[in-house]
Amino acid sequence: MTRAERERAYRALSLARALDERMWRLARAGRAHFAVPCSGHEAIGAGYALAMRAGIDWLSPHYRDLTALLVLGMAPRDVMLHFFSRPSDPNAAGRQPYAHFGSRRLHVLSLQGPQPNHCSHGVGCAWGSKLLGDGSASVIAFGDGGAQKGEVHESMNIAAVHQLPVVFVVHRNGWTQSVKRESEYATDSLVARAAGYGMPGIAVDGTDVEAMFAASRSALERARSGGGPTLIDAQCVRFLPNTSNDDDTRYRDRTALESEFAVRDPLVRARRLVAAAFADAVDAENAALAQDAADWAEAQPHGDAQTVAEHAYA
Amino acid sequence: MRELSVIEAVREALFEEMARDPRVLLLGEDVATLGGVFRASEGLLERFGPERVIDMPMAETGIAGVAVGLAMRGLRPVAEIQFADFIHAAMDHLVGEAAKMRWRTAGDWTCPMVIRTAYGGGFRGGPYHSQSVEAFYTHAPGIKVVAPSTPADAKGLLLAAIRDPDPVLVLEHKRTYRLIRGPVPDGDVVVPIGSAAIARPGNDITVLSYGMMLHESLAAANALAGEGIDVEVVDLRTLLPLDRTTILRSLAKTRRLCVVHEDTLTMGLGAELCALAAEAGVLEVPPVRVAMPDLPGIPVDDVLEDAVLPNRATIRAALVRLAGAVPAGSARRRAYDASIPQASSVVEIALPEEHTRAALDALVVACRAVPACNASFAWSGIVNHAQVVVDCDFGPAAPARGGGTITLIDYGREGADLAIPFVRPGQTAALRIGAVRDGRAFVACSVDHRAVDGADVGRFLAAFTTELERARAPETVHAG
Repeated sequence: MTRAERERAYRALSLARALDERMWRLARAGRAHFAVPCSGHEAIGAGYALAMRAGIDWLSPHYRDLTALLVLGMAPRDVMLHFFSRPSDPNAAGRQPYAHFGSRRLHVLSLQGPQPNHCSHGVGCAWGSKLLGDGSASVIAFGDGGAQKGEVHESMNIAAVHQLPVVFVVHRNGWTQSVKRESEYATDSLVARAAGYGMPGIAVDGTDVEAMFAASRSALERARSGGGPTLIDAQCVRFLPNTSNDDDTRYRDRTALESEFAVRDPLVRARRLVAAAFADAVDAENAALAQDAADWAEAQPHGDAQTVAEHAYA
Repeated sequence: MRELSVIEAVREALFEEMARDPRVLLLGEDVATLGGVFRASEGLLERFGPERVIDMPMAETGIAGVAVGLAMRGLRPVAEIQFADFIHAAMDHLVGEAAKMRWRTAGDWTCPMVIRTAYGGGFRGGPYHSQSVEAFYTHAPGIKVVAPSTPADAKGLLLAAIRDPDPVLVLEHKRTYRLIRGPVPDGDVVVPIGSAAIARPGNDITVLSYGMMLHESLAAANALAGEGIDVEVVDLRTLLPLDRTTILRSLAKTRRLCVVHEDTLTMGLGAELCALAAEAGVLEVPPVRVAMPDLPGIPVDDVLEDAVLPNRATIRAALVRLAGAVPAGSARRRAYDASIPQASSVVEIALPEEHTRAALDALVVACRAVPACNASFAWSGIVNHAQVVVDCDFGPAAPARGGGTITLIDYGREGADLAIPFVRPGQTAALRIGAVRDGRAFVACSVDHRAVDGADVGRFLAAFTTELERARAPETVHAG
């Protein structure tokens, strides 16, 4: 990574963390319905989003992909409009709760509730790139819980059969809400699955933004050059509960988690890539941005009941 | 106009639309090299190439999900699910994704995709190649569902579906594919989604149907035409959104509803159609549904499958039952009427040998008093005639000529003392005067009880005999 890329990465991770912490506190305080934290996942999305060409390549996002959204161009105020479910939210217009990202302008496909149905949407999107010949590539991100669904199998197989320009990225944090890895799949990693579909697999430390960027860049280059799909297994730590409705003390040991996170916090690791003064300045700037975005968005009007039926059909 | 089969019409629509719009592509199992198991896409691979006619892995979830993604990119995917029985694996993408895409993003993303699938039984396909799935998808706002029954509609609706900005599920009844042939207009004739068609006009009963059952309903309706039951058959064509205007216009005329579908009864489309009619308050008798019984599957054995699927005979029986239904609250519940001398259809009266003129006059007066006896019955309603035209049947030498509004039978001295008159078609009553013996005769009245009840027969005979007596009274005075 160049210095500019490292600074850009740190800026995104820091902003995501600032927004994440603020949303978590606001949801816990009852000011909003629902928070989906991304703490611990930040470097994964930053890695591929920085390797993507914003507005050209396409993202089928994971619900912990806030960093990728920010890198691709979503403004903090728009994130907070989504968080407060206001009708002016460009992601879901107050119709889907937080973390159901989507923006045609930013080439981010609308994310749904049932995970990970967006995998095949992303494959269709990549197929569209191939048919239209526009040279764009797609990233499809999902969790290791979602990876256990047939949806992912069908999507990866179709992408491989038709050599589509797509990169599958599994955010592998080892938890599916409360269900631990051992109850979800029988292998230590998911990267070996790539071989089963005839595509390359890359195992990455998903808390290392530089490694994630490098893996994403090579996979996206392969995709764009007609080399077909790649699977990236990005291992990370889910630092917070699954959502604001979850209590993870019922199923995991927070003390052990916090000691692990002390060394595997992607933000702490990214801080080593930039000057301390730069990092401090950016953190302060982002704290202010997050506060402004939250205050502003919370003050925006709720929906007009007269409009609820709009957009059911064209 | 050319005659095509349904499958030929489907193929023609795909061919023409792919030639017209380069964004259109086909994907599904066996659609390319084989040309589809029903040959809907035969020849398309050769014409449009493997980039646009794509054999997919046996993965219905993936086929539907990939189609969603292609549509999000502005392409116009037409995905084929080989048998509707396999579509359930794709349901999450149809109901959960395609149907909600526009709404959940307030129009930022849209999903203009088509899923075609072959549904329906009647060809010994068993439980996994015969199902009707419309009820699942008509319960999913955001999607549109069409179900053509004729070649012209199969083509026109498929063209409309591919051009529609929203996801459309096209249900093609596989039995119609080769069985049903019909004219298909030349050129680019689109059948708008959301418009039903009157497949057969009629006045007495409205049948709402679609797919193969539309043709069975038409057969039943045509068979009943000779029995005086005039059935209107509405081809729904689009199942979501329903063409409420055409449906309610027909029901406002007939006020009797029979829904026919091959799908199972409970929570089927018939339930919604009956609710629609009930809420509109247009029915005069309870509606009837002809549907498959609530069974988990359609059995493959010849006898067993025939036993569960509706057909023209079961539809016809339901229509006859519906035609004879009596509107609730319309039964006349008058209190005892002391003015009726005898609630009888036979009276004995004093009558001279020569009475023809007087009897005719009295008959006219009686008809004026009880118009129901000078009427015509039809299922759409009873028509009371303004004029009284008597058909006179005076024996084999002078039989009735027909064309009247009521019949008077009088065989004179040679006739029987008492005989039952028969009501002529198009009339509601007939009166027979028996042979006069010793200045007395029996008068018998027969009526069509669909139009005239027993009390009215009593009133009618009372009016007749009273008038005869009144007419004779002045003569008595003069003679005196």
